[in-house]
Amino acid sequence: MSFPVYNYDKSTELFNRATKVIPSGIYGHLGPAEGQFIPVSKWPMFAEKAKGTYIWDVDGNKFIDYMCAYGPNVLGYCDPDVDAAAAKQTALGNCTTQPGKVMVECAELLVDTVNTADWAFFAKNGNDATQGAIMCARAYTHRKKIIMFSGYYHGVSPWCMKKDYPGVLEEDVANNIILPWNDIPLLEKTIEENKNQIACIIAQPYDHGNFHDNAFPEKDFWQKVRKICTANDIVLIIDDVRAGFRLDLAGSDHFFGFEADLICFCKALANGYNMSAICGKEFLKSAMSSLSYTGSYWLSAVPFAACIANINKMKALDTPTLFRQKGEKLTNGLVKAGAEHGFDLRVSGAPALFYLRIANDDNMVLHQEWVAEMVSRGIFFTSHHNHFINAALSDKDIKHTIEVAEEAFGIVAKNHPELFR
Amino acid sequence: MTDAKTLAYINMYAILGTIENLCELDEEASKLANPKKPVSIGLAVTDGPSATLTFKNGRCRMDQGIENCDVLLPFGSCEKFNGMIDGTVTPIPSKGYSHIVFLLKNFLPLTDILTKYLRASEEDLKDDKFFEISTKLMFYVITVALSQIGNNDPIGTFSASQIPDGIIEVSIKDCVSAGIRVKDHHMVTIKEKPERFHSKMEFNGIRLARDLFDGKVNAVACIGEGKIGMFGLVNMIDNVNRILDRVAIYLA
Repeated sequence: MSFPVYNYDKSTELFNRATKVIPSGIYGHLGPAEGQFIPVSKWPMFAEKAKGTYIWDVDGNKFIDYMCAYGPNVLGYCDPDVDAAAAKQTALGNCTTQPGKVMVECAELLVDTVNTADWAFFAKNGNDATQGAIMCARAYTHRKKIIMFSGYYHGVSPWCMKKDYPGVLEEDVANNIILPWNDIPLLEKTIEENKNQIACIIAQPYDHGNFHDNAFPEKDFWQKVRKICTANDIVLIIDDVRAGFRLDLAGSDHFFGFEADLICFCKALANGYNMSAICGKEFLKSAMSSLSYTGSYWLSAVPFAACIANINKMKALDTPTLFRQKGEKLTNGLVKAGAEHGFDLRVSGAPALFYLRIANDDNMVLHQEWVAEMVSRGIFFTSHHNHFINAALSDKDIKHTIEVAEEAFGIVAKNHPELFR
Repeated sequence: MTDAKTLAYINMYAILGTIENLCELDEEASKLANPKKPVSIGLAVTDGPSATLTFKNGRCRMDQGIENCDVLLPFGSCEKFNGMIDGTVTPIPSKGYSHIVFLLKNFLPLTDILTKYLRASEEDLKDDKFFEISTKLMFYVITVALSQIGNNDPIGTFSASQIPDGIIEVSIKDCVSAGIRVKDHHMVTIKEKPERFHSKMEFNGIRLARDLFDGKVNAVACIGEGKIGMFGLVNMIDNVNRILDRVAIYLA
């Protein structure tokens, strides 16, 4: 079977219009530069509509979307239950002078759901949550320094970027200490050398960075970190913006068997309705209250209603189990399809957030070519970022994905007779 | 926010080092690089770079160090060497007085030709051949400056510290290529197309490259438009691009 290769004339036309009025056309992770569309001719730029696990671009091409808007699509685009709850709240009011009662209901649900949560604080984006968590830790400890682990990504505020990024000052990152994962002796030494100066450790629950195989921490790593933080009055923050609710509805710290002091959520919180949350322990509630930290839309009611419906449905479906099963089924099929053509496709990270890498070469070119062939046949992957499973992904979608993968592997192999004879 | 030592390394290897390419590309420059007997000019900068330019058979070659030079131009500091490049300091040879004529009649005119190409007027750029040579020379200046900034500038060394070992190819399609070899976060630019790359950044034509060098177009938008291609380990290119931002500051 041969799958048609897509044409992107309208996307290209729209992108050319966009570059005239928007810096770089599409900026950030959804754009072709940061999103690493290699080559750009194989990728759509703009979506027309979305439903379930599918997106349609402005040229009318249909895709099975394994990026899920980089995480927010957790139940499926336009999930009827979430959208109904949002529509009901829209009719009542959204951005109003007083917050709606759904804010309290949403906080109560999070406290009931998230293992470490005694309270919930709401904002809009993941970056708002990580920024707020850092401020809370500093307000509580009256200390400056932050420890992060290599490959970190905690948002786009200057403090969590690097000193060579445009617009970032050395002073912005002067209090950051970056350590490798799994090196407990070095962590202890660093804390000793910075006695009473470390406000917090902030980390993703596992290394799900880009350009390298994703990896869970070594056994007992988090338990040891937890113990060290407690002993040194250091606030332990888990940035669960990406992995949150896909591994464990009680939080990824619960998945790895420890308790964070603060945990940050965003992407999977409300199935695409824009909100983020910091959940925390009782002892930090007063520090969080002390912050001057708010935003025009942070307490809007519609996302809270969507969040409640979303969390309740994730509970009913047991989405973490569902995602693991779907992820394993898909990635096992992809690995098998690759092996039949001589490709060494490596799968890493949690199946719900699988990361792919073809390991036959040392420069990722084969991987990029394969991903490009997939995308241009309607399977939306990216080259160097983890992917996401959503609940609307069916067995039929998985089967179709594997069939397209077989064809894409065959094309790449044929294009490289020097490697695949 | 530039650093005199880094600028000295750029001036030595990226600016003066490009005389090598100038002599290959420009006939007049080639004639000037053709003394009866080979002449080598050493430039030694206290607490900075030192290199020798050898002129022979219409070609120029730059080597590290000053051990075998005929003429030596010493500079007491990076600032003084940088002053020579921007025309505010006159160098005085400490050896090789018999080659003063070559210095004055050949070397200085060569640097004038180089300046003409690197600080090209709009009028000169209307000539296609001039445009091509000018853009190729700018390409070499920029790619060599990248490595010097990655090895010396305080922020540049941080960017280089994020680059894994490997070869980054930078090229203008169907025109010119260079390879940047990274080993233990030390960068070396080799002014020829590498046999293989770990990552590659390619501008789709000389006109686009020129517009990018002149800051007339936005690089990120060009990536989206497919005018700049990136392949392979693009995290290497990502960090190179952060250094590239600093090239513009030093070469301004």
